[in-house]
Amino acid sequence: MKNIFNPKSVALIGASEEKNTVGLGISKNLLEGSQERKVFFVNPNRDIVLGLNCFSKITDIQDKIDLAVIAIPAKFVKEAVLSCVEKKVKGIIIISGGFKEEGNEKEEEEIREIVRKNKIPLIGPNCLGIINPCANLNASFAPITPKKGSIAFLSQSGALIDSVIDMAENIGFSKIVSYGNESDLELVDFLNYFKDDKETKVISIYVEGLKDGRKFMEVAKGISKPIVLIKAGRSDKGIRAAESHTGSLAGDYSVYKSAMKQSGVILVETIEELLDTSKALAWQPRCEDGIGIVTNGGGLGVLTADYCFQLGIDLPELEKGTVSFLDKKLKKVVNKSNPLDVIGDAMPERYEAAIEAMLLQKNIKGLIIISTPQIMTDHDKNAKIIVRLKKKYPTKPIMCCFVGGKLVSSAVKHLEENNIPNYFEPMRAVKSIKSLMKHG
Amino acid sequence: MNILSFKETELILSKYKIPFCKTEIFNSKEKALLFAQRIGFPVALKVHAQKVFHKSEIKGVKVGIENEEQFNLAWDEMMESIEGKNIEGLLVQEMAYGNEVAIGMKRDKQFGPVLMFGLGGIFIEIIKDVSFRVAPINKNEALEMIKELKSFKILDGARGKEKVNINSLVDILISLSNLSMKEERIEAIDFNPIMVNRDRACVADFRIIS
Repeated sequence: MKNIFNPKSVALIGASEEKNTVGLGISKNLLEGSQERKVFFVNPNRDIVLGLNCFSKITDIQDKIDLAVIAIPAKFVKEAVLSCVEKKVKGIIIISGGFKEEGNEKEEEEIREIVRKNKIPLIGPNCLGIINPCANLNASFAPITPKKGSIAFLSQSGALIDSVIDMAENIGFSKIVSYGNESDLELVDFLNYFKDDKETKVISIYVEGLKDGRKFMEVAKGISKPIVLIKAGRSDKGIRAAESHTGSLAGDYSVYKSAMKQSGVILVETIEELLDTSKALAWQPRCEDGIGIVTNGGGLGVLTADYCFQLGIDLPELEKGTVSFLDKKLKKVVNKSNPLDVIGDAMPERYEAAIEAMLLQKNIKGLIIISTPQIMTDHDKNAKIIVRLKKKYPTKPIMCCFVGGKLVSSAVKHLEENNIPNYFEPMRAVKSIKSLMKHG
Repeated sequence: MNILSFKETELILSKYKIPFCKTEIFNSKEKALLFAQRIGFPVALKVHAQKVFHKSEIKGVKVGIENEEQFNLAWDEMMESIEGKNIEGLLVQEMAYGNEVAIGMKRDKQFGPVLMFGLGGIFIEIIKDVSFRVAPINKNEALEMIKELKSFKILDGARGKEKVNINSLVDILISLSNLSMKEERIEAIDFNPIMVNRDRACVADFRIIS
């Protein structure tokens, strides 16, 4: 699979410069990485695409080809695969749809037999492609290339990838795979690959139906990296939609829940939660139960405490040592308890003392820091202090809850650039810190 | 889809050491009565058929039969209500007391054999307080499954109620887990209810589908 994610040369069969086509999208994306690898375009009907000479067949290319990407109408795909075999490519991605998902199982099976016989790994058909931001490879028709990070995102839906990478502008990815119909390479094959992939810390999955549930469980149990999964097709209507979408069986959701629990997979309910949880796990260390809350607004502190209670998270009382540390530094703060309200007019120094005091207390294993944009609040400085303290105390996770809009946006950007996740809603912060707890 | 005959059911339950209430199948009222007298009143009378239909629809269950007179009446009524239907016979069963729980197994299209645990009776049909695990499971997982119920406290002696023998339920779950892994022809199993008290659990109603 290394040749698919880190190819030295790529050929696109179906390169195009016709506006609004998949062929043009992939052509452009592949050219982004032309500093790193050789890119070749194949299209018998064109001489030049985006300034590059076009070959009429892949076998006309003199150089060796590691990865071939096929994006042509279904009826020509088998022939293209045969030419890839002849060219001895080391991996194939079939973008084209029109196979199993439309009832055309025979053609898909024939293609699988060809690649399996020749031991060429195949992704797809019916997919968006793959992206490896760590190698500047975008072999997909996604609208952008996301930045590099440590989340591997696997999706049975291609279009969802487009939305996720646009939404998650502060989040980076190690790999993105739209695995399509799983004709040859299956979800579990990618899991096995990411298990030992140095760039991947967290595996996030969007799934409608698993090909083999028991095999998935077995593989997932063997992976120590966190796996976060969202399952679509939970209701009868959803199941029907999934069957026509990817042609896979969606299955009973209550059974899924148990199966995921048994395999140590974190099951989430929404796309937002998938990203929230993934970034928490990618950026922050795991922790035990016991959370401290620092806030400059009583209301959000109370809500956060409620959510912690709701999810069974312990908020330890402040110890004598912590209180006397605070007595010296925070004369103005009367109630020294957890949640610790540093009061609305808190300037960065007060935040700093409160955060440090909490981090020094042994049974506080992680922090949620809330900041509301009051008239004197210096968000940017607060963010800098948090980043600095995080470096000083790297073993305890910190989640931020800078709640606002324009007023907090630059501080949030600074936090997230330094891998401190921010959530605009306390429940999201609480759920995310819960996911860091090993026995959560 | 076919429901196992009583004999086959008995064999498989015994093979996996799944405890069930003393039960025998009869087509003759006289022999049935002798059996009822031997195990002692009160007894229950239940229809056993290899075709699926809801027992309550055909008045197929009568519990708490106290004596010979009630027995004869119940037998005749039941025979009348099932007339023309293809049944295997009537089960005469000892009455067991305790809390009702339900344990089941089905084969999921994606995960294979899946075990289910829940409180029996209305709890399972209305409140749907059930837990699932993909088989096989070990004792800890079986215990977790039982404790996962929202209504676990009912079994654990809430408000001065009798605390039931949880280990006996764990044993049934483990046996069912083994059964589901080995007997591939068995598609689904329903034990509902299982009567459980402080001493023991026994399956009162069984439906094994192959």
